[in-house]
Amino acid sequence: MQNTETNRQDQEILELLKDYPMPSADAAFYDRALVRATHEGSRRQRNRWMLTGFGAAVAATIAAWMIGGMLLSDPQLSDPEMTIPGVTMALAQPRTVNLVFASATALDSARLTVSLPAGIELDGFPGQREITWETSLNEGKNLLPLTLIALTPAGGELLAHLEHENRDRTFRLRVDVT
Amino acid sequence: MSTAEQSLAFERLVRPHFDRLYRLAWRLTGAKAEAEDLFQELLIKAYGKLDDLVEIEEPGSWLCRVMYNLFIDERRRFARRRLHTVEEGQLAGDGLEGLPGTENPVLDNERLERIRELDKALAQLSDEHRVVVLLHDTEGYKLSEIEELTGVPVGTVKSRLHRARARLREILVANGTIF
Repeated sequence: MQNTETNRQDQEILELLKDYPMPSADAAFYDRALVRATHEGSRRQRNRWMLTGFGAAVAATIAAWMIGGMLLSDPQLSDPEMTIPGVTMALAQPRTVNLVFASATALDSARLTVSLPAGIELDGFPGQREITWETSLNEGKNLLPLTLIALTPAGGELLAHLEHENRDRTFRLRVDVT
Repeated sequence: MSTAEQSLAFERLVRPHFDRLYRLAWRLTGAKAEAEDLFQELLIKAYGKLDDLVEIEEPGSWLCRVMYNLFIDERRRFARRRLHTVEEGQLAGDGLEGLPGTENPVLDNERLERIRELDKALAQLSDEHRVVVLLHDTEGYKLSEIEELTGVPVGTVKSRLHRARARLREILVANGTIF
């Protein structure tokens, strides 16, 4: 008796589920989604290439930076600020520095914020002290070239803040101007 | 391949599967905004894997699996948004837009009310149970197709389906939607 009742109830639920509505997409939605996918997909690919697609010249810059960092971390240097990797650049002369982000896995939609000291600008972003954009990281080392221009001899510290979901990390780079 | 050629090749591969993917997105998320968001995310991801996609024999099934995994990987994001949507009372509203009417307005109202209650009951199921019952009982997927999509063995799919139906029965009997 109870089984009969349960079966009838189940049958009723099945009928309800079959009747459960399914709105169709707006006519233009598919077209918009395609356009956005190709546009956004291309942008992400460009970002990946920008982050990874550098050859020997870039490697040379990183090597120089790493060597600089090792020298600066010499315990004989008492100023704690000096343990931060640094670059020296000439006034008004563009200089490309390369930030290295090592990631254990590929990350989509990471958020990168570069904060610049007063008197230092990022080429292509005049007057902006803070630039944020979304990017993707490949597994392994990712390179981000930043072309800096010193407008004053003050120098200072550049911060690159990388966020992904609940994790974040800040990279510091001392910029000296001669 | 130029960007324009890539876009064209991509469209040829994915467009035939749009309706199926949209339905799946809707069944997974339960609300229009989230379904469209998931659909969009899938296309962006798939475009980045165009080289793989052209080699795949059944791109439709592959796209469905990627969508499901995307949903599972980011379920917290979609769940959070769905909760917000429910609070605003939009889930039922969106879900009922496409309901075909009958000639009898009294019957229509009764039907609408029952569907609303079903909507609420479904929202009380876990993602795993809700997805299985909607794919099987509403969309007509076979158990083996759900196994292929979710990577969950048929035995587990069956057991989830059984539990999901039992829980729905319990809720709908308790609130008087069915007797």
